[in-house]
Amino acid sequence: MIKISNITKQYPTVTALDNISLTINKQEFFGLLGPNGAGKTTLMNLLVGYLNPDQGEIHIAGEKVTQDCLHTRKNIGLVPQSLALYDDLSAQDNLDIFGSFYHIEKTFLKERIKEKLESVQLYERRKDKVKTFSGGMKRRLNLIASMLHDPPILLCDEPTVGIDPQSRNAIFDYLLMLNEKGKTIVYTTHYMEEAERLCKRIAIIDFGKIIAEGTIDELIEKLPYDETILITKNQITTAKIDILKQFGSVIDENDHYQLKPNAGFQLSQFFESLEKHTISYKFVELHKPTLESYFLHLTGRRLRD
Amino acid sequence: MKTILQLIRKDYKLFWSDRRAVTMTFIIPIALIIIWGAVFGNLNKGGTATKLHIAFLNNSTSPIGKKIERVLDSSKTFVLIKSYKDENGKRIPFDTSSIQNYVRKGSVSAALVIPADALSDTAFGLKLKFYYDPKNDLEMQMIDGMLQKTIMTEIPDIFMQGMKNQAVKFLGLDSGKAFNNEIAKTVGKYFKIDPKWITNPPVDSVMSMAGGSDSAKNSFFQNILQLDKVQLVGQDIANPWATRSVGGWAMMFLLFTLTATSSALFEEKKSGVVLRLLASPISRVQILWSKYLYNMSLGFIQLLILFTAGCLLYQIDIFSNFINLVLIIIAAATACTAFGMLLSSISRTAGQANGYGMFLILAMSSIGGAWFPTSFMPDFIQTISKFTIVYWSMDGILQVLWRNASIFDILPHIGILIGIAVLITSISIWQFKKGHVF
Repeated sequence: MIKISNITKQYPTVTALDNISLTINKQEFFGLLGPNGAGKTTLMNLLVGYLNPDQGEIHIAGEKVTQDCLHTRKNIGLVPQSLALYDDLSAQDNLDIFGSFYHIEKTFLKERIKEKLESVQLYERRKDKVKTFSGGMKRRLNLIASMLHDPPILLCDEPTVGIDPQSRNAIFDYLLMLNEKGKTIVYTTHYMEEAERLCKRIAIIDFGKIIAEGTIDELIEKLPYDETILITKNQITTAKIDILKQFGSVIDENDHYQLKPNAGFQLSQFFESLEKHTISYKFVELHKPTLESYFLHLTGRRLRD
Repeated sequence: MKTILQLIRKDYKLFWSDRRAVTMTFIIPIALIIIWGAVFGNLNKGGTATKLHIAFLNNSTSPIGKKIERVLDSSKTFVLIKSYKDENGKRIPFDTSSIQNYVRKGSVSAALVIPADALSDTAFGLKLKFYYDPKNDLEMQMIDGMLQKTIMTEIPDIFMQGMKNQAVKFLGLDSGKAFNNEIAKTVGKYFKIDPKWITNPPVDSVMSMAGGSDSAKNSFFQNILQLDKVQLVGQDIANPWATRSVGGWAMMFLLFTLTATSSALFEEKKSGVVLRLLASPISRVQILWSKYLYNMSLGFIQLLILFTAGCLLYQIDIFSNFINLVLIIIAAATACTAFGMLLSSISRTAGQANGYGMFLILAMSSIGGAWFPTSFMPDFIQTISKFTIVYWSMDGILQVLWRNASIFDILPHIGILIGIAVLITSISIWQFKKGHVF
């Protein structure tokens, strides 16, 4: 459905994207995971035709995407990172305006607006000015404003920034429902929890390069260890942390140490060592590796560093 | 106290980091002071730094007529225009009819004619014809005042000689001379002046001899210089003041409005709406054209409402030449819209666009003639003013409202305004292509 081939995009002082290639399949929920400034938004802007690449090509449903090709945009709905709404207009007026650009028949558009407002529980507030909405309501409106032309592809650029967990969950459920109904969704985020919850397949982007791509299980499988060990930071563990370094690399974090086990790590040997050095088990937690662990493994940094 | 000082320090730090605020606070006022200084400085010098242009015709064969012409020709205040160009570009000397048409057309605001009987044997004093178009009241007062002052200051002996001649004519040579001497003695006694100075005055000392005070001079000479004033244009206008000034103010408000609406593009970019628009099947060119046409129509509506209000409140006659008024308003709105788009294209933020806009609007309004007549300004500013939208819009509106101009009369104005719009729009498009808005 979306084919990105050897895309490079440079700004005066930075290479935002460096020879990126990706293929996103039809009806896939695809995640683009990376820290701030990794190049996610630039890639979204290229997908939508807002920017032209310096090198490479993007094809959507077989058509090449360029700034001048308006036709491909009918297949896409972009949910921008910012709240791209007119604050002084009502929700209904906003949707009327944004829907009108797709030349949808007036009565049909009216029906579509009603349906979308109802789907995100905003119909009762349709006549209220957007500036009176809460952050979560604005985010929901921002989302449906991109879907009035019923595009087969939805590009969501961090659509849950700055909202409460309840509103975030509502948006997640809505997107999952859309995906189940056949929409192809490309979702950028720097929250690994979001990617893990929503995306069937992800690409990890860092400094403008795709550093990993696959399903979450595939990526975690690539880790040289099966679990991450968190050790509570206190006087005892701090005094004896050097002893534990024989089992892997230890990262000093705010309130705990994280142990990334070496290849061939044996859990039984680790617990024996704890017992031998009188380190209580209660200071130790075993975790299944996550995307965060994988990112840390690849880059030596956390996603939100 | 230390906390207060730290807070003040913080405010100064923020202020200096805001280039727009610094520009608005220091650079723009200095630039405007320079412009206004040039204008007001000139006014304070009595308008002598800039010469006032008037049409001139001397039909008198008398030496006095020739002397007045010579004095005005060499005056630092006036430039005398004595001929006009016909359709073939040939210069034709004025006659009594063509000089009036010259004023009616608006080529100059005033014309001075020395009639054949300017100084007759049967009349006391000097009679001159003064044709005028009070399209600008301040300019008219200036010309009138400076003309009388120049004539009376430079050639007082004409009047003294005139009085003596009248006495000799009616009383005979001997009695006339005796009468003149008695008059000189009487004047000398009460004004404490040597009577010989009165009977045989040195040219450049007569004004001071007449008493030394301006009021005394003026009352004395006003009776012997008779300016027969004939208003050629705008006699039927119900409210000359409002009709004259509405164009300038309208243009200034229009520019402010269009600058504000054009900078709204930055707000749309900041909020992400521009991205949303461009993610739908809309091109950049379509966005720009929609902005252009929206601003143009808004400007047109604003001007129309402003003139209608002027009509209702101040009896400005907008309907007798309505079509031409609409045409010049459309041209003005087009040019002003182009100006607003230029500001958007060269600025990085809405604040910057508003800052540039404020400076350019105030500068254009002042040198374009919205606040005071361009004829008072130094020559170089008058030249610059012809490159401003305000000048051509205001003059076009004045032609329509004041002179009831035909479409052919305002075609140059419309052409120049549209030309300015095309030029500025081309620059804007070039800037938008490499600019920051998109």
